[in-house]
Amino acid sequence: MKKTVDVSIPLGPMHPCWKEPVRIKCETAGERVLRAEVELGYMKKGIERIMRGRPWQEVMFLAERVCGICSVVHNMVFIEAMEKISDIAVPPRAAYLRVVANELDRVASHILANFSYCYTIEHETLAMYLLNTRETVLDNLERLTGSRINTAYMIPGGVRFDLLPGDAAAMLADLAKVEEEMKRHVRIFETGPLIALRSKGIGYMSREDAIRAHTVGPTARASGVEDCDLRLRHPTYRALGFTQITRTEGDNFARVMVRFQEVFQSIDLIRKCIETLPDGPIRGGGFCKAGETSYAGEAPRGELTYAIKTDDYGRVIDIAIRTPSVMNIEACAHEMIKDAASIADVTSTFISSDPCIACNER
Amino acid sequence: MSILQKIKNTVRSRSIHVSYVDVGSCNGCDIEVLACLAPRYDIEQYGIYVHNNPREADVLLVIGSVTPQWVDKLRDIWEKIPEPKVAVAIGNCPISGCVYARKGTLTSPPVEKYIPIAAQVPGCPPRPTEILSAILSVAPLIFKDYEEKQP
Amino acid sequence: MRSIVYYLREFLRPEWIRKFFFAKTAPLETPSYFKDYPSLTGNECVACLSCMMICPAPDAIAVLRTRDGWEPEIYPGHCVRCGLCVEACPEAVLASGRILDVTSRDGTALWSWYRLEVDDTLCMRCGNCCVSCPVNRKIDQQLAGSGTSSSDEVIMRVEGGRVRVIHEEKCTGCKTCELNCPNGAIRVARMVEGVQIAEAEA
Repeated sequence: MKKTVDVSIPLGPMHPCWKEPVRIKCETAGERVLRAEVELGYMKKGIERIMRGRPWQEVMFLAERVCGICSVVHNMVFIEAMEKISDIAVPPRAAYLRVVANELDRVASHILANFSYCYTIEHETLAMYLLNTRETVLDNLERLTGSRINTAYMIPGGVRFDLLPGDAAAMLADLAKVEEEMKRHVRIFETGPLIALRSKGIGYMSREDAIRAHTVGPTARASGVEDCDLRLRHPTYRALGFTQITRTEGDNFARVMVRFQEVFQSIDLIRKCIETLPDGPIRGGGFCKAGETSYAGEAPRGELTYAIKTDDYGRVIDIAIRTPSVMNIEACAHEMIKDAASIADVTSTFISSDPCIACNER
Repeated sequence: MSILQKIKNTVRSRSIHVSYVDVGSCNGCDIEVLACLAPRYDIEQYGIYVHNNPREADVLLVIGSVTPQWVDKLRDIWEKIPEPKVAVAIGNCPISGCVYARKGTLTSPPVEKYIPIAAQVPGCPPRPTEILSAILSVAPLIFKDYEEKQP
Repeated sequence: MRSIVYYLREFLRPEWIRKFFFAKTAPLETPSYFKDYPSLTGNECVACLSCMMICPAPDAIAVLRTRDGWEPEIYPGHCVRCGLCVEACPEAVLASGRILDVTSRDGTALWSWYRLEVDDTLCMRCGNCCVSCPVNRKIDQQLAGSGTSSSDEVIMRVEGGRVRVIHEEKCTGCKTCELNCPNGAIRVARMVEGVQIAEAEA
């Protein structure tokens, strides 16, 4: 039977489920969605154009403001790219503190993504529980860096603030609380029959599709793609014994569960970091040199790449950023939403891939 | 003051519908508005309901410096909000453009060029408590005795 | 029926009604470690402008002349609350959160110096930069109009038909040369380095 398009339904740019403006055009036959197309361009600010010709201490803040949710990792990848160009060595204590800040940010980002998913499938109770747990995580990020979001924590050659001994104990106590709460939330999510109805088997993407669509991050890991976590290649994470989490279901449920499991893994990493925190300085000094490089790190949403060219005066001449949401949103539109059973599943499927429009368009 | 007006004042003071629109920011302020929903801040205990529908909103939270796509659409959204209405600028972006107000940018701040702004919450991003107190302090000023203030 | 009575009794308690209509969470406190807008500590500002030069946000801080001296002023609509100005200030004029305590405890600082970049393809050897430079004028009062100088102590001078930078480290970053260059050939670059002074040195 030939599929005929009844009506094309636009979702967005102002939509109760989207945190940021994006438009999805769904071609439907009855309630069934045949095809979906994502229309972007509402958030283009031209950050890469502003960055050109600016010194690192200004580009660092612009890089952070590519995305507010995962600001720490943007800062980290940019600074590590600058360090790679200029051969700056980071003191071990600073490298560990970077991991602590990055993982706290990842926990906050994953909890926010799962909050959005629960909010979209109208499970508001769990959504509010998750949002309250996120506040505790942000408190700890604030304790370490001095602000909740857009922390400006790292500079070439180290970090800005040390972790005070009293704060380390308070952070460990808070993390134990977060872990306990999250265990409860995961139990609610795993065993909820209505959540399973809205999540299991919906928005399925096979492993082959995931590889063909170049998905990255938790979206790829939920479809069973191995070796797609760049933390496996980061020296500090390797010293901490990081292993990747993979699930094979490839549906909305798996994507959310991968994020839940990574929260526990991140909490373990932070704990390991704080317990084995080496003594020593937190800043090594060193100034930026001329060079050109491309450096990738693992953001909460996947692989994040900065290609940077600098001159002898610490200025960035040319820069290109590739953010993980670019691939994930396209994969979501072309692989997951395709043949969705109802228009209501489009929103939850789209949110389950954790799209970040500000990242995507810069 | 008529009794009807008094009833309206009482009802309006505990039923503020908020809609937020992101016109090009780093989404840090978006998630701080979302964080206001968390039980710790609990924006709904004050009768403020956050959802994303301008047609039933009283307060529009504008986030972000205005990108070219939003120049005409922002005014459309503002016109769709029923009276009485008020717009609050959240964060540095709608006030000054924050770090984006540099050479080469595509944005065109401030947002006051497009819609009237009643209050500004500076910060990059502002804390949820600051957003909360801004909404709470600006809403009564606009909504109290709204009909009587009309010419 | 019993449940209806139970709920009626539960909801008609004056305490519950009061909580329902007038409930407020306790006023939430901003933690002391939050990097708020920088405030003045009362130390005397020496107008070195380190804070203005490190600031990543446009128009966020300005050092203004007051009756008694100089004073930095923060503009809240522009400031991103990063705290770099607090860290960069050598006199601890500004304070924000506990940045001052932590930096003095760890001995961390931001060092900066200047580098002069002359684009030889744009430079037309007029010598305006050498003449206008206030440091040059102070060192060598006999600095010629064409920018040549007999002194080896000047920052830069015209030598053999091109500008040669001799003493980069003397530059104060005033950018007068940039302003007076007709072609935009000379540029002052500010190099910043985050350092930690070991306790033995400090």
